[in-house]
Amino acid sequence: MDAAYQVDGKTVAHDEEGYLTDIGQWNEAVAGIIAEAEGLPMTAERWEVVNFLREYYQEYQIAPAVRVLTKAIGKKLGPEKASNKYLYELFPYGPAKQACKIAGLPKPTGCV
Amino acid sequence: MSAIAAILLVLATAMLAAGLAYRLALWLAAPVPLSIPTMPAPLTRGGAAMRVGREMLLFHSLFRADKPLWAASMAFHLGLALVLLRHLRYVVAVPPAWLVAIQPVGRLAGWMMMAGLLFLLARRLLVPRVRMVTRTGDVAVLVLLLAIGTSGLVTTYLLHTDILAVKAFLTSIWRAAPEGLPPDPTFLLHLLLAILLLAIVPFSKLLHAPGLVFSPTRNQPDGSRRYRRPARWARTLAGGGQ
Amino acid sequence: MSAFEPPPLADEVELAAPPALVPGAMAHSRPYVAAPAHNQALGFPGERVPDWERRAVEKLGELLERSRALRVFLDSCVKCGACADKCHFFIGTGDPNNMPVARQDLLRALYRRHFTVAGRMLGRHVGARDMDEALLQEWYTYFHQCTQCRRCSVFCPFGIDTAEISMAAREIMDAIGLGQKYSNEIIGKVHKIGNNLGLPEPALANTLEGLEEDVLEQSGAAVKFPLDVHGADVLLVTPSADFFAEPHVDGLIGYAKVFHQAGISWTLSSHASEAANFALFIGSYEQMHKIAQRIRQAAIDLGVKRIVFGECGHAWRVAYAFLNTLAGPWDFLDPAYPVPQHIVEVTHELIRRGGIVLDRDTNAGKTVTFHDSCNVARASRMGDAPGGQFVLPREVIKAAVPSFVDMHPDTTHDRTFCCGGGGGLLTDDLLELRIKGARPRMQALKEVVEQQGVTHMAAICAICKTQFAKVLPAYGFPMEMVVSLHQLVGQAIRLG
Ligand code: SF4
Ligand code: SF4
Repeated sequence: MDAAYQVDGKTVAHDEEGYLTDIGQWNEAVAGIIAEAEGLPMTAERWEVVNFLREYYQEYQIAPAVRVLTKAIGKKLGPEKASNKYLYELFPYGPAKQACKIAGLPKPTGCV
Repeated sequence: MSAIAAILLVLATAMLAAGLAYRLALWLAAPVPLSIPTMPAPLTRGGAAMRVGREMLLFHSLFRADKPLWAASMAFHLGLALVLLRHLRYVVAVPPAWLVAIQPVGRLAGWMMMAGLLFLLARRLLVPRVRMVTRTGDVAVLVLLLAIGTSGLVTTYLLHTDILAVKAFLTSIWRAAPEGLPPDPTFLLHLLLAILLLAIVPFSKLLHAPGLVFSPTRNQPDGSRRYRRPARWARTLAGGGQ
Repeated sequence: MSAFEPPPLADEVELAAPPALVPGAMAHSRPYVAAPAHNQALGFPGERVPDWERRAVEKLGELLERSRALRVFLDSCVKCGACADKCHFFIGTGDPNNMPVARQDLLRALYRRHFTVAGRMLGRHVGARDMDEALLQEWYTYFHQCTQCRRCSVFCPFGIDTAEISMAAREIMDAIGLGQKYSNEIIGKVHKIGNNLGLPEPALANTLEGLEEDVLEQSGAAVKFPLDVHGADVLLVTPSADFFAEPHVDGLIGYAKVFHQAGISWTLSSHASEAANFALFIGSYEQMHKIAQRIRQAAIDLGVKRIVFGECGHAWRVAYAFLNTLAGPWDFLDPAYPVPQHIVEVTHELIRRGGIVLDRDTNAGKTVTFHDSCNVARASRMGDAPGGQFVLPREVIKAAVPSFVDMHPDTTHDRTFCCGGGGGLLTDDLLELRIKGARPRMQALKEVVEQQGVTHMAAICAICKTQFAKVLPAYGFPMEMVVSLHQLVGQAIRLG
């Protein structure tokens, strides 16, 4: 069931839903490949989100709550972008899940 | 002949009693470890008993679910109840006045029961989703009941049986030599099938009758914030609160 | 965007018409299987045990001795079909195995075969089957197409509750090493970290601080979101989605404003930072008990007087109907209040006696309808009288918004349709099923949107909120249509 991404001749294992099994294997090239698999080109805005997720994860071992994320993006990209709606435009499958996947983080579980 | 019929009848009754007793013992031995009434539920035991009563006499949930099915089911069960009541006169020595009075109603009930059964059978065979969950056994029970009903109606209206002889037989089955049964084939068939029905109750879906009374979703009151109900098997779990 | 595009909703609401049968329509829909580590963390075998057929029968025997309901339900079904067209998954998929009676029969087959005289003698003529790979695969497929919503049990003449049957089947599957990833992984996280999300204490504290800033900024009031405050009156136990997702978090802000304005001291607990109890979904009393113990422990440690639950459907079922048995007695709490209480009960009472004041105009332009969550509607209560679970939320909404409309009566109160995501099915690998299962609710919503101008649908369950946020767009509605009940309260409440 489990499979792998091919990045620069290396294989990076992921689970059945495409989340990395070992977050230590993440790098920017991996992010690009995952994003491609999701059908999303990595724009500067998407990188902002992905980078923030990784920073937050470093500190708290969990992805930030959606509100924390919108606030942070608002600060970086301007207050008009501080909305759930904007994040959904960037990551149509839901910022929490799709952006986490690209950032190499585990999938948020539970009723979210 | 009479002796065989008597033995079968006694045997079937014994199977019914023992089978039911065993089944109920199994049910009662198992606890209901949590409060699971389908809500909203009455707050008191009395209220819950009323709820079960409403299900038993009025088929309240079925009424909410499916009106034609409710009507057919009511016709069959009510018809059966009245027919059975009417049959009392074959076993009591001197029928009381009310029993004599309901005889015409009982005859009508026979037809009502048959109509209900025919609808149930037709529905079972014709409605695709019902047919899908039907097994041979489900049809067999309906056919058995229809056969009992038909043979009963035939003896009532066409080929009259010697009622007094039947009565003499039924009141004498406990003796070593029971009195003679009338040798009418329709009547004998009726009796034989009824005996069969009695015998299979505890082993078939006919258990739904006691099931209704013991169903925790219907007979539990809503009181879980007031009462605890830890089952014996659950008391060994670690942690507080047991 | 979504993996599955549903056919458009009908113009006319035809709630009564049962669908045409499409055998095997959902045979392909199965959730991911749990990894060995997920199973082992809960004490289940990691992988399929060697003699699993025998073990399954043995486990069924154990469950029969532990639950009268299971016995009575397996013995009493007459195959009348009254339940058949009542399940949202049957209505939405047409797959005959999604008729509640057919779903039950998958377990009943094994029961008949091994525990009844008729089944041993007559075999398949009375629906008996042996345990084999084919039957097990049908179990895994179709017992994960039941949200355990109990709608079927409302209509069954014997009250047979398919939810109990599917819980038992999942328990048997866990016992032979075939667990479902979504539920088992999450239960493991509750044990390890304290909540379904896996939100550690520092992250929780950080998130709550952020909320205090937000509310101060927006309303000017210093509303607190206390965490682990010893000696608070109220312990609030709420689904972790309330910390994380939209629109859930707006509900949490609503609860905080209510406590703030009413002057009730309250706290969250990092030990019991989760109201949900997914052990219900896998039918495990032991796991459910263990999860419930966290709440007792938190209440003791923090020295609170009351326990209040946030908006979560199945959590309220476990809280209302089971908590007293699982983790009581609560003799160390204030006897003046029922244990536990629902946040809607608290808010309702405050509105009634003027402890808080709501201003409907702040929600101007909203016409709101209410989705009765299955577990709240059919497995619990609020307030003092039967049916309070229908009355209280509606009264609170009516106090908060200018216009309220109910959906079709065949789809509300105890006849409500499940959102399609409950019972451990709120996972991406079941998205097609979730969209199809939401259809009856979406159909009823469409009616009130078109005929009565409904703009929002309020919910009181984390699963419902997430599920609707996901499936509303598939049916052409905006995602923002679903709101938390306390989001409306939080908007309308007069602070200061
Ligand atoms: S409990 Fe709900 S989902 Fe399960 S069979 Fe019954 S109606 Fe369907
Ligand atoms: S309504 Fe009850 S008795 Fe009838 S088929 Fe369904 S589960 Fe069986």
